[in-house]
Amino acid sequence: MEDQAEDREGAHELFLFLASTAHDMKNSISVLTGTLEGLLAGADDKDVNHPAYPQMAQMLYQTKRLNDNLIQLLALYKQVGKPEYPFDPRPQHIGELVQQVASQAKVLLASKNITLKADFQSEMVWTFDEDLIIGMLTQAINNAVRYTHDTIRIAVEENEGYLEIRVEDNGAGFPQSMIDAGTSAMTGITSGVNFMTNSSGLGLYFASEVAKMHKYRQRNGSIRLENGGQLGGGAFIVRLP
Amino acid sequence: MSHALNSALHPAAVAAAAAAGSIDWTEKRYLIVDDFVGIRQLLRETLRNLGAKHFDQAASGGEAMIMLVKTHYDVVLCDFNLGDGKNGQQVLEECRIRNLLTPSSVFLMVSAEKSVESVMGAAEHQPDAYIIKPITEGVLLTRLNRVWQKKQVFREIDQAFVEKDYLRAAKLCDGQIVNNKLHEIDLLRMKATLLLKAGEPQKARAVYEQVLDDRDYNWARTGLAKIRMNNGDHEAARQMFQGVIAENRFYIDAYDQLATAYQLMGKLEESCDVLEKATKLSPNSVVRQRRLGLAALKLGNIPLAERAFRKCIAIGEYSVMKTVDAYFGLARICGQKNDAKEALQVLAMAQREFTGDMVQLRAKITEGLVYHESGDYRRARKTGDELEEMLNDDPERPDTPTCMELATLLFAVGVKDAPVDLLCYVIKNNHDNMVLLDEVQEIFEKARMGEEGAELIKSARKEAADMMNKGVLLWKTGKLGEAVAWMRTAREALPNNMRILFNSAQILISHMQQNGYNRDLMDEANGVLMHVDNIAPGQQRFAQLIEQLALLMPRKDPPPDEENAGVNEEGGE
Repeated sequence: MEDQAEDREGAHELFLFLASTAHDMKNSISVLTGTLEGLLAGADDKDVNHPAYPQMAQMLYQTKRLNDNLIQLLALYKQVGKPEYPFDPRPQHIGELVQQVASQAKVLLASKNITLKADFQSEMVWTFDEDLIIGMLTQAINNAVRYTHDTIRIAVEENEGYLEIRVEDNGAGFPQSMIDAGTSAMTGITSGVNFMTNSSGLGLYFASEVAKMHKYRQRNGSIRLENGGQLGGGAFIVRLP
Repeated sequence: MSHALNSALHPAAVAAAAAAGSIDWTEKRYLIVDDFVGIRQLLRETLRNLGAKHFDQAASGGEAMIMLVKTHYDVVLCDFNLGDGKNGQQVLEECRIRNLLTPSSVFLMVSAEKSVESVMGAAEHQPDAYIIKPITEGVLLTRLNRVWQKKQVFREIDQAFVEKDYLRAAKLCDGQIVNNKLHEIDLLRMKATLLLKAGEPQKARAVYEQVLDDRDYNWARTGLAKIRMNNGDHEAARQMFQGVIAENRFYIDAYDQLATAYQLMGKLEESCDVLEKATKLSPNSVVRQRRLGLAALKLGNIPLAERAFRKCIAIGEYSVMKTVDAYFGLARICGQKNDAKEALQVLAMAQREFTGDMVQLRAKITEGLVYHESGDYRRARKTGDELEEMLNDDPERPDTPTCMELATLLFAVGVKDAPVDLLCYVIKNNHDNMVLLDEVQEIFEKARMGEEGAELIKSARKEAADMMNKGVLLWKTGKLGEAVAWMRTAREALPNNMRILFNSAQILISHMQQNGYNRDLMDEANGVLMHVDNIAPGQQRFAQLIEQLALLMPRKDPPPDEENAGVNEEGGE
């Protein structure tokens, strides 16, 4: 099990870079969390009824989410190229998947006045690691929030024996560098600068690793980015065998 | 079909979704367990948004236990990490062992990141589902409904399982598979487990192969390997377990099984290494730490054994699984480090925390070994003498490991006849367990009785084999009455010999199959099998024989057209 690390020259440096960045971010989030926790825990009866109180609770919740996502990423990046992450594919209802993704994103979308549309067969069943796929799609939606005008669409259908999930928006579309980053995350050609300089590189790499973990009858999962789709903006597409 | 999901799910919409899942979660009683007040507040808010009205909260595992004893909760949301004291898994284990949860209650384990425990497939007590923080209403509701639906699908199967009616339970699985594509894999997994329990490894193997034909599941590959291992094909099993680990290094069950395979092959060092790796991945299992401690103690790896036993005691403090073995092990380690004082303290602690005659006896033996290993030969001799006297007064013998420790001690303090008798007793009751026989030989070697020991082992084995073969011969030549009588004699002489016990039951069954049902023979066979299940639970042959016995029970209605279970020839030698 110890033998994979050697054959990847840049992998170790990349890992150190990611680890130190992630560590730094975790520190910042911890300070944020701690401050919010202190304020909330110190609140008396009068404070609890103040309108700002639930909002602060919401802030804490969001900060913790960030923290959790970071932990997930750290787990994934412990060994670049070989995800050290418990993988647990099971048959799932697509309706339940969409429902859960929508509920994860709802506060963010509501606060930004963004409508979420969904197209899917509720009773359809597919086998995948639910927690990993929910994490991936939630990140895709968070990303779409940045690019969209006012609508995001999540669409799930079977296509050529693959489960195809699309997260589309009605913004101006992804810049070419972003689409390239999606391709390079998938092909593994990550030595170029675009992977690390693009702020979405981390999330795309995460997504591509999660997709590739899904294997069925000699076929692997994949991700890609493109422009167009039903809403005419950017589209994140994941295909699972 | 197109859905416009309102970006903010309205509580009414949530309630409607709950109704669609055809169960009302609003009137249920909830318990939230988390050591962090902020999380408890968030969860309370989440539950309120789901329409829940009754909820309590606990800030620690201990507090949760007090509340779970007092109140019945329909849903428990328990964080895995609860700071000092019991963790979430220990709360769950205690609930299950003390029957604090009804079959319909839902236990959800909450954690900050996807835990190894959730996929390792080893923990004996599994929650109904794992949820990763942050918990949103939608995710919680989805998981609750899913658990509820699964409980409906498995209700009858679980009931049959509890009644040990494994074959009926397996048939019920088939019935459910037809209508439940979503649960098909879980049902097949359950079916394979049931078939194994029912003593049908070939049918279980077919189920695993059917599953693997579609997709590579760790549990199915591990299941196939376990069947190979039980068939005595240890090397093939070892390779298969290692294959599973190479694919998924978090699948702890494969490590535990691999350690067993090595153990069966007599490769104790390899077995210990595997256990060490497994405890690194999942350190909070009392059972696994004990196993590592015992393996390391046997190999004389003092630092490793000490670490394992101390960890085992530490996690055991808050666990219903806590074990006295760790205390005895640690005492031995202290003795070997020449710290008799701490060893005696540990033994005193063991006797405070655990009760029973066996604990007293084992404490006494360990005390003698500690004295001897730390060089206090006078006290060791005194303890040995007391134990020898006890053996003379009471013909009852303790379990095999205790007999072997006692023999080791008695040899060490210079007694000869009593330990020889003890070891011969062990051999006769385990005459075909080659790994154990090697261990007995080792004890003889240490007592400088290597050659004499080898002779003793040989004659004791022959004595046991002769007894059994005589019974089998009578049986095979059709003298069933004589065979039954002879096996009674054999059982009296060797009360814990598994082969004799199983063959005894088999012959009783044959007798009834040929000469008809007989109440006394039925009771006798049943008693023999219950005794076997008591000394070595979960044997395949036990399930097979119980099944044959059940078919012999007189019925009011005509018997169903099941295939008639024939006489099992496997027992012959």
